[in-house]
Amino acid sequence: MLLFATVVQAATHDIHHFAEACAMNYIVKDLMVPISEYATIPEGSSLFKAVIALENAKQELSGAIYPHWMVLIMGKNKKVLGKLSQLDILRVLSPRDTYTDKIDEMGKFGFSSNFISKMREKYRLRTTSLENFYTHPKTMNMNVEDFMKTIGENEFVDENTSLDTAAHLMFVKNRLSLLVTREDRFVGVLRLSDVFSTVLNAMLKVTHN
Amino acid sequence: MKEIEKLYDRIIQRVNINLRELEFDVNPYVQKLIPYVQMVKFYAFYGISPHHPLNFQFRSSNLAGSYFLGRCKVTNSLLYKSDIRGDELKKKGSLFRYQDYEVPVSDNEEIDIQDSLLIKTLVHNYSHDPETLEKFFITDTIAMNYANIHGSPSNGCFLGVFATVDLTTMRDCVIGNFSYIQAGEISHLNIQPGTIWVRNPGKFNFFYQHPVEQLNDYIYFTAGTPPQGLFMDFIEDRKEAFQRVFDMVNIEHTIPVPNNASLDRYAVTKGQTHIGENVLVSQRAFIQNSWLGKGANAQENCFIINSRLEGCNVTAHGAKICEADLGKHVFVGFNSFLRGRPDNRLSIGDNCIVMPHTIIDSREALAIPTGRLVWGMIKDQKDLETNSISIDEFSAIDSSASIGGLFFEGSGAQFISAFKDRIEHILQANGAFFNGSDMKGHAQKNQNISFNTIQPYPEGIKKGLFPTIIIEP
Repeated sequence: MLLFATVVQAATHDIHHFAEACAMNYIVKDLMVPISEYATIPEGSSLFKAVIALENAKQELSGAIYPHWMVLIMGKNKKVLGKLSQLDILRVLSPRDTYTDKIDEMGKFGFSSNFISKMREKYRLRTTSLENFYTHPKTMNMNVEDFMKTIGENEFVDENTSLDTAAHLMFVKNRLSLLVTREDRFVGVLRLSDVFSTVLNAMLKVTHN
Repeated sequence: MKEIEKLYDRIIQRVNINLRELEFDVNPYVQKLIPYVQMVKFYAFYGISPHHPLNFQFRSSNLAGSYFLGRCKVTNSLLYKSDIRGDELKKKGSLFRYQDYEVPVSDNEEIDIQDSLLIKTLVHNYSHDPETLEKFFITDTIAMNYANIHGSPSNGCFLGVFATVDLTTMRDCVIGNFSYIQAGEISHLNIQPGTIWVRNPGKFNFFYQHPVEQLNDYIYFTAGTPPQGLFMDFIEDRKEAFQRVFDMVNIEHTIPVPNNASLDRYAVTKGQTHIGENVLVSQRAFIQNSWLGKGANAQENCFIINSRLEGCNVTAHGAKICEADLGKHVFVGFNSFLRGRPDNRLSIGDNCIVMPHTIIDSREALAIPTGRLVWGMIKDQKDLETNSISIDEFSAIDSSASIGGLFFEGSGAQFISAFKDRIEHILQANGAFFNGSDMKGHAQKNQNISFNTIQPYPEGIKKGLFPTIIIEP
């Protein structure tokens, strides 16, 4: 029993190191999604256009393992102004009134999430019905710049950065993606899903061998 | 630039540094709010009695019109017409109970105010923070008119007008106008005006916010404008009555006061006012044509006008009661404003708890039955129905409830029990239960306090600053 445990432990250790070596020999540009293949919309676009861009990107990438979950808002000089995820869109579409605002704010006053959900449910009927709200022309025509998330300085990574450094940045900064640059130009997106699947593939390769 | 101006700017800068994360700039709120000439005009005064500790240290500060009792240290600060009451501080050798701990207090506690600006603010009680038992600190803090810092150490905070922080350690917070916070420990919060928040983690959480538009009629204070609204007008209209008590060196009460009761020489009484046995009337309280029954108390900045309080009533710091009849054991919390009308009086039954910062302002007669918990903004019978509940019913809440604008989570019974225990403690501390020999409290101990005055430099570069003064027994 002790021998078996030692063998498993040694094998796990080797796999870990080998997988790390295989995966981390990559650099960022090997794995990034080029900007030409990423979901983007120009500044001044509507919320509806952002939703459609996300949906189209999903269809265009039907062969890919992971669809895009984020759309980038591009300025006139090909600069990234902001980003919008599915979660951001849901957040914007969440019906609000003074009661729901107050209930949301109560999180910082130490109420449990269970209590807050209960209160949201209780006061839900005070708001406009969901269907009406989501499809209301006023909602669909909202300008993306009004609710997009701006890009922070720490969200960029150079295309020649090693994959292990990029992975480190992701978990330290708690980011699901990094924007890749070549000199001053924005050239693509490094996604957590692609980094993870590269590591996974390396591990599988070792176990098959 | 004179020293006092430099000090003013320095305090603003220090508070802003603490509040930078909240992006809150105190400058437009306080700049030029108090003309420097006012800071030079008023003397400060302190009390001496055999029943209270005596240790004052004042350094590089202005103390215009402020009152000190007990053990207080003030450094690099501006205290304008504030009351620093150190008569409930912990004593060396006593035990401080916190959860399952009994922590010995290693030295006499002191109030330590540094780099702060307090305007017409009350500081009272003792530090409830188990991490700072011997020091009730107030540092890098600005408190605006009629704020209460009650048992609440503070670092890097801004308290709006009529804000109260009670039994809570606060760091880097903005407390909105007329908010009442009792939450144990808070940091980096910007709390909007009119928030009433009472939390004991794991036990209960009580939360209400006054409707801002209605609250603005009572108190409105924003950057660049002085505080305004009904509360300010109410106090301003009665300001002159205090002039006499502050101008005269020796003052005799014009109404009889039982020998077991205390009417502070810096309080105002007018008209047909009755002071019952074991009654405590604190400095800057204003009583007009009112009856205070046995064991009632009127704390600092209270106004009781044309009203009758049957006995054992707590009227907490800054509360105002007009044209009202209160039964026995009615608690009226900090800064509450209760106003009936001469022909349509407000009556409140025995054993009611009126939550801190409650506004009852009704043009129609309102009768609140015995044993109710009352909160929020009440202007008529309909409001009363959604802003009050029987204490028994509230005690039955065991998980959560929302009633009108009130949100509550936890045990209603524990919440009520905590309040009742506190009310009992306040009555006891104030001497309401004195029996002729035992149970002495402030009403008995505060009868013979001598007051000394101290003055700032009248001119020169230090004009307005008080010299370093150390007063010991």
